[in-house]
Amino acid sequence: MRKIFGVVAIALTLAVVSFAQVRIAPLNLKERTLSNGMKVVSLQDKSVPTVSIHLWYNVGSKNDPNGRSGFAHMFEHMMFKSTKNMQSEKFDRITEDVGGFNNASTGDDFTNYYQVVPSNYLELLLWAEADRMINLNVDEANFISERDVVKEEFRQRILANPYGRLFGQYIEQLSFTVHPYKRPGIGNLEELQAALPADAREFYQTFYRPDNAALVVVGDFDQAQFDGWVDKYFGKLAKPNGVIPRVTVTEPARTEEKRYRKFAPNVPFPAVVINFLGPKSNSEDIPALQVAETILSGGESSRLYQSLVYNQQIAQEAAFSVDNRTDGGLLYFYAIASEGKTAEALEKSLLAELEKIQTVPVTLKELQKAKNQLITQALRQIETNDGKAGAIESAMIYEGDANAVNNAISKVQKVTAADVDRVMKTYFTQKNRVVIYYQQGDESK
Amino acid sequence: MRALGLKITKIISALCILHFAFFVVTKAQEPTPGPPKSVKIPAVKVKKLANGLTVAVVERKNVPLVTISLLIRNGADSEGVAKAGLANMTATLLTKGTKTRSATQIAEQIEFLGGSISSGAGWNSSSIDVSLAADKVDQAMSIMADVALNSRFDQKEIDLLKTQIQDGLAYNLTQPGFLANYVASVYSFNEHPSGGTTDSIKAITKADIVRFKSVNYKPTDAVLIFTGDISAVKANALATRFFAAWKSTPVRVEKATLEMRRPIVNAKSTDLLNRLVVIDLPNSGQAAVNYFKPIRSEGRAVCFDVMRCQTEENFYPASVMNSVLGGGYSSRLNQEIRIKRGLSYGAGSGFSWRKASSNFGARTQTKNESAAEVAELVLAEIRKMTETAVSEKELNPRKLVVTGDFGRDLETTGGLAGAISDVYSYSLSTDELNSFMPSVQAVTAEQIRKFSSDFLKGGDIIIVGDYKVFKDDLAKRFPNVKLQVIKAEGLNLNNLAK
Repeated sequence: MRKIFGVVAIALTLAVVSFAQVRIAPLNLKERTLSNGMKVVSLQDKSVPTVSIHLWYNVGSKNDPNGRSGFAHMFEHMMFKSTKNMQSEKFDRITEDVGGFNNASTGDDFTNYYQVVPSNYLELLLWAEADRMINLNVDEANFISERDVVKEEFRQRILANPYGRLFGQYIEQLSFTVHPYKRPGIGNLEELQAALPADAREFYQTFYRPDNAALVVVGDFDQAQFDGWVDKYFGKLAKPNGVIPRVTVTEPARTEEKRYRKFAPNVPFPAVVINFLGPKSNSEDIPALQVAETILSGGESSRLYQSLVYNQQIAQEAAFSVDNRTDGGLLYFYAIASEGKTAEALEKSLLAELEKIQTVPVTLKELQKAKNQLITQALRQIETNDGKAGAIESAMIYEGDANAVNNAISKVQKVTAADVDRVMKTYFTQKNRVVIYYQQGDESK
Repeated sequence: MRALGLKITKIISALCILHFAFFVVTKAQEPTPGPPKSVKIPAVKVKKLANGLTVAVVERKNVPLVTISLLIRNGADSEGVAKAGLANMTATLLTKGTKTRSATQIAEQIEFLGGSISSGAGWNSSSIDVSLAADKVDQAMSIMADVALNSRFDQKEIDLLKTQIQDGLAYNLTQPGFLANYVASVYSFNEHPSGGTTDSIKAITKADIVRFKSVNYKPTDAVLIFTGDISAVKANALATRFFAAWKSTPVRVEKATLEMRRPIVNAKSTDLLNRLVVIDLPNSGQAAVNYFKPIRSEGRAVCFDVMRCQTEENFYPASVMNSVLGGGYSSRLNQEIRIKRGLSYGAGSGFSWRKASSNFGARTQTKNESAAEVAELVLAEIRKMTETAVSEKELNPRKLVVTGDFGRDLETTGGLAGAISDVYSYSLSTDELNSFMPSVQAVTAEQIRKFSSDFLKGGDIIIVGDYKVFKDDLAKRFPNVKLQVIKAEGLNLNNLAK
């Protein structure tokens, strides 16, 4: 029998799911919840002498304070500044400087901090993560400098890229009406500039606490030693009083199609976005939507590429994407025109493809192809310790369960043509549609 | 306002408590790391088929995935200026139709296996890359070999690809960072953009493509690389089954002679700044600020003949130098421009390594208002590299950045195949993978200073942005430097730098 995961023998006692000849052993996760409410998930894998550490907080851009769009992300930058015990950029000294790396990201529903380091640095990193969870300094000079960095990030992502305004501003602003998802996570220059160090201190106090955090560690460690370190550095952190504020607003169902036309400078070709409100990320419909996503835009044999890019040659890019969010995300089609083609032509062809998948069932061959593509994708994600940690983290954020990482493939395998047909008919109605045209022109219009 | 004040008070008292906690609990307890473990470099098994095709295999079973790359040791270096983009077009078109499969069938079949196929060309090489689950390798190999050996080059596919490249160029040329590199390829490096220009793409014909393929794609100049969950025995059997019939056409490869096309810059110039250029892109959301310098005759490799090369002596000092100056988050450029001053989301530098003649670039983007200030900061950091030796305290972490990145790259089948391709594209031996880390560790501060002093001086600052915004500040900060301003609109690379 083929040995799975090399030296890691963990899989032997567990069921092995088989897809054709390829076998994917479940990740043998060890889960704990500390008495202060912090969740800890670990997975030992000694194939390389490194360890990946992800610490994510249940706070994201949707928690930006009023009048402070972009704040959760800007605050993420502050977490690399000094604490009571560490100088600013200490994290770089104990990751980058020893041959590892670190980064962080802010999504609509989460903020995560992650590092990959040689495994002998694991204890130091756990100490440091615990330290910045409770001991961060927010000094004015650092705050102002980092606010400037984030404004440059805004300019680079949104202003210097011809399609930055469409994908980083307009889609969210025009697609949600009451849910804070309507405020782009990157914010805007005015609200970023308005942010103050006092806002940062309050935000930190409100959201950065053990009962709002989850630690995921994958790699080369000794389980008992790791558990001991977790107790030592995180276990003794007090669970603060006070309730963590949550977003409870529900985005109402759309009642009629909305259409918008937006302009920006230096846009070489028109683009169109057609989106629909989708289900919550833990919905049972997500796997069928992912299969549809792959059939519509996974690779050059996909329907949208074949139709808009290859046969009609009206688009240089055409895709359908499931934008997963915990409170309900967007299901969106988009296309960027070829030279001389119009947004109208793109919309017409995208809608024709939508109608086709809604009226004619997908073939068994297409279904199998999509599943094979999704399985290979899942394999690629678990090639590294960091990839595994990221997959576990996503399962926790979007499905509320670390072990969902082990069910992802079987859920995809169970999807039938009838499931695809059903989700395409459920969500993709005309009254649930927002259409955005985007092209060169005066931005102020 | 009152509410806000109240909250601040609460936070201040909370911080006092934490401050106390830190003093008692944590300060004395910053844990000390244990001894490091060494990273294992995987062994590459190499074999040669009778037709001259090299087969390189690394077996690794932790995930049932395989990457297969066919590397051709000729790329944009073989295409010539007037046909810039020919190598990349030729490689891209391989997957767009064979004698028995249409473009759609190729995509359909490989994607049905859950895999992907891509092809393209860099400066010294072209490649076809396949990645998929281990149990599908046999089927994928038959498609890959068909694509490599039986390409059809339909006019219809050529026309579509040309349109796609032109559209891609029109899109990229609105972006200040891309535009700066595009101009530098001609203006500073006296080469050509390897992806092509509007004019060169127009000029490429089917006959050019067919000829390029027959001249440059030969088993004697190719390497078939397998990495992942596949044994060397199986990989070699597949290579023989699908590629043994591949015959070389007896045509000599003529490389574009780069040395002759590089008369502009004296490599050992004594001045730091050679020329100052602005590409005016009105309404640009940011300014791209760059320093470009060709490293003339200092390539990635020194070659005894076409097939036998060794690493050029400056490669490792240059790599560590770059890590200090602009590689990674804590490099000097990012420290000065982003971390200390908040002037950019990121600043960095890097080499485009070529077999014969490499290029250096420092790159960042900033708001238009601070373009001139950032240009000064970039120059100051490069000057410092050329004048002062790096301290050991700074040097050692920067070496670990280089070796750490290298080790992580080898963790995926794709990264591993990429590292092997890289070594072969410069005609180096796979022993290079084993000597990489010790060679980085052996670099001295004096080697870095000497390399910087010899090769980094005499480059061009190229700023792409909304000129009217930084015009006055630029004149003030660079009073004695001749400035050339070129409009982005209607830019013609042929009229530059003559």
